Amino acid sequence: MNAMNPITTPALALDRLGKTFRGVAALDDVSFTVPKGALTVVLGAAGAGKTTLLRAIAGLERPDAGAIHIGDKDAAGREPRDRDVAMIFDNLALYPDKTGFDNIANPLRIRGMEKGVIEAAVKDIAARLKIAHILNRKPKTMSGGERQRVALGRALVRTPALFLLDEPLSSLDAQLRIELRAELRRLQRSLGYTFLMATPDFAEAMAIADTVIMLRAGKVVQIADPQTLYDEPADREVARFVGAPEINLVPAEIGPGGGVRLAGGLLPLPEKFLPLLAPEARAIEVGIRPEDLALAPVEGAALSGVVTDIEPLGASVAISVEAGGVEFRLVVPVAATASITPGLAVGLSVETGRMHAFDPQTGVRLA
Amino acid sequence: MLSRPLTLPLALLLAAALVITLFPVFWIVMTAIKPPTDWNAAPAVWLPSEPTLVNFRTLFDPTALKAYGLSGVSQPATPSMLGSILASVVATALSILIGLFAAIGLSRYATMTKATPLMILSGRMFPPAAIAVPFVIIFSVTNVIDTYSGLIAIYVAVTLPFSTWMLKSFIDDLPREIEEAAMLDGRSRLMAHLTVTIPLVRGGLFATTMFIFILNWSEFMFALVLSYTNVTTIPVQLAKYVTATAGTLYGVQAALAVLAMLPLVIGGFMIQSHLARGMTFGAVKR
Repeated sequence: MNAMNPITTPALALDRLGKTFRGVAALDDVSFTVPKGALTVVLGAAGAGKTTLLRAIAGLERPDAGAIHIGDKDAAGREPRDRDVAMIFDNLALYPDKTGFDNIANPLRIRGMEKGVIEAAVKDIAARLKIAHILNRKPKTMSGGERQRVALGRALVRTPALFLLDEPLSSLDAQLRIELRAELRRLQRSLGYTFLMATPDFAEAMAIADTVIMLRAGKVVQIADPQTLYDEPADREVARFVGAPEINLVPAEIGPGGGVRLAGGLLPLPEKFLPLLAPEARAIEVGIRPEDLALAPVEGAALSGVVTDIEPLGASVAISVEAGGVEFRLVVPVAATASITPGLAVGLSVETGRMHAFDPQTGVRLA
Repeated sequence: MLSRPLTLPLALLLAAALVITLFPVFWIVMTAIKPPTDWNAAPAVWLPSEPTLVNFRTLFDPTALKAYGLSGVSQPATPSMLGSILASVVATALSILIGLFAAIGLSRYATMTKATPLMILSGRMFPPAAIAVPFVIIFSVTNVIDTYSGLIAIYVAVTLPFSTWMLKSFIDDLPREIEEAAMLDGRSRLMAHLTVTIPLVRGGLFATTMFIFILNWSEFMFALVLSYTNVTTIPVQLAKYVTATAGTLYGVQAALAVLAMLPLVIGGFMIQSHLARGMTFGAVKR
């Protein structure tokens, strides 16, 4: 084929990958590339095909269709060990009969490296992962976080072209998860490694990804950097998956004369909705992020309703307001909520410029 | 280690179970050291008045019982012991070896169809007696009747469904990601199975080996119908201690039975420590 430029050759290129299990498509026409030295996250709910995708890249699952290139080499027909990838399994899969040291040293020993070199490499990575003190222990005496780090160490002790991480932090406590993901990101950056990481946690993806690949039912739905994914979701389902509390989805209508009619109120037509203007009224679904809503005085407010629920989130408060038969959720700073109680009549103001318009049938984002 | 406290009713139940289980063993061992007069005395002799090893000596020296005025035992038991050891050890080793790789294939590689494991097991779903006569004919025609290779072939064929299924269940319990991690660490598929899968199921491997060995060790029917003079095993030999003048030589039978039990008891103690559960604890997140 075409001569590949060694500098721009991606670490991984998938071309129309497909895999079916008993008639159900686990991967459907999946194509994307992972640039060298980047942290790319595959984001998707349970069952979206993330694990199958990573296993196919690792050579543990044979795809039914499509091609996998790792670096400039076609991976077809090559065993996992010949693919120059390391993988961290979602269940860790440590060797239960080996100590932490032996778990991490295993890939180097298989490659027949010298004892002294192995020891130095294991100690170096153990120090980076802060597990030097547990190297003599077997997995059953380690905590969940320690096992997680040993699994990371076993992968990071080598320098393959690509690291595959399948929900590597999923079983940890929230605190530890956040701590470890930041460490992981630091390590990846400082060593210049290429990571492809699967996670069902959008916050994790937002926090560390260079690029997010949104996977749903085996299909790539959107490829974007985290902020773009949040600001310009490809469709209603992406908008719902990315963000918490969930985006408010409200049936609405764009009048022929402009203006968006929703929840018993009339909002001015934001500029980006202009292309949707039609000679007749047009039904759409409007998405409004909870932070793009604010409480306002009842008089003169575009929307008015009644507070139904208050849920403290710490620094901010999630408030539920019923307006025009629609339940809105909004997030406001604690300071603004001192006098709010359920049953209170309130007005709502909307950051109309940040509203999304979705096709009510297909869910595709229109604006 | 008890999962619940030992209450009085539970203790009585366990004691009753122990008596029922161990009484035959007790009786066999006692009979083995009884002189002929005590074998089937009425009322029963529980503990022999004069313990003797004559029954054991008779196994190796058929004339030993002459001291008690009994004769008619023609051959020593030694060939049957060697025969049992040869047939059981070789057949068990082959059954386990083939079964182990079959089990890995069935557990990990969706070999052939989904029905394949059941097809293998269905080989055991008819009584052995139904195939015994056909095998006598086949073995006669092919000239493997009354040979150890023929008997071993039958033993492997008969036990292979069990060894395959038992080993498959142990491998199914082992997360496949552990051996896949080895593949990514640089092992070939075969080496990943040899260095990771098999060592991690060794408890199950020992248990299955023991089970298959017991099946082979105590097999009677095939050993009887597929042998004339060359091949003989302990269960067949046991039936030979009947004399025209004195009837069944219970004491000698018991002595051989005691010797036949020994390897199983020793083997059981040896693998006991490997049967502990939780060998893979810590390998994966739960």
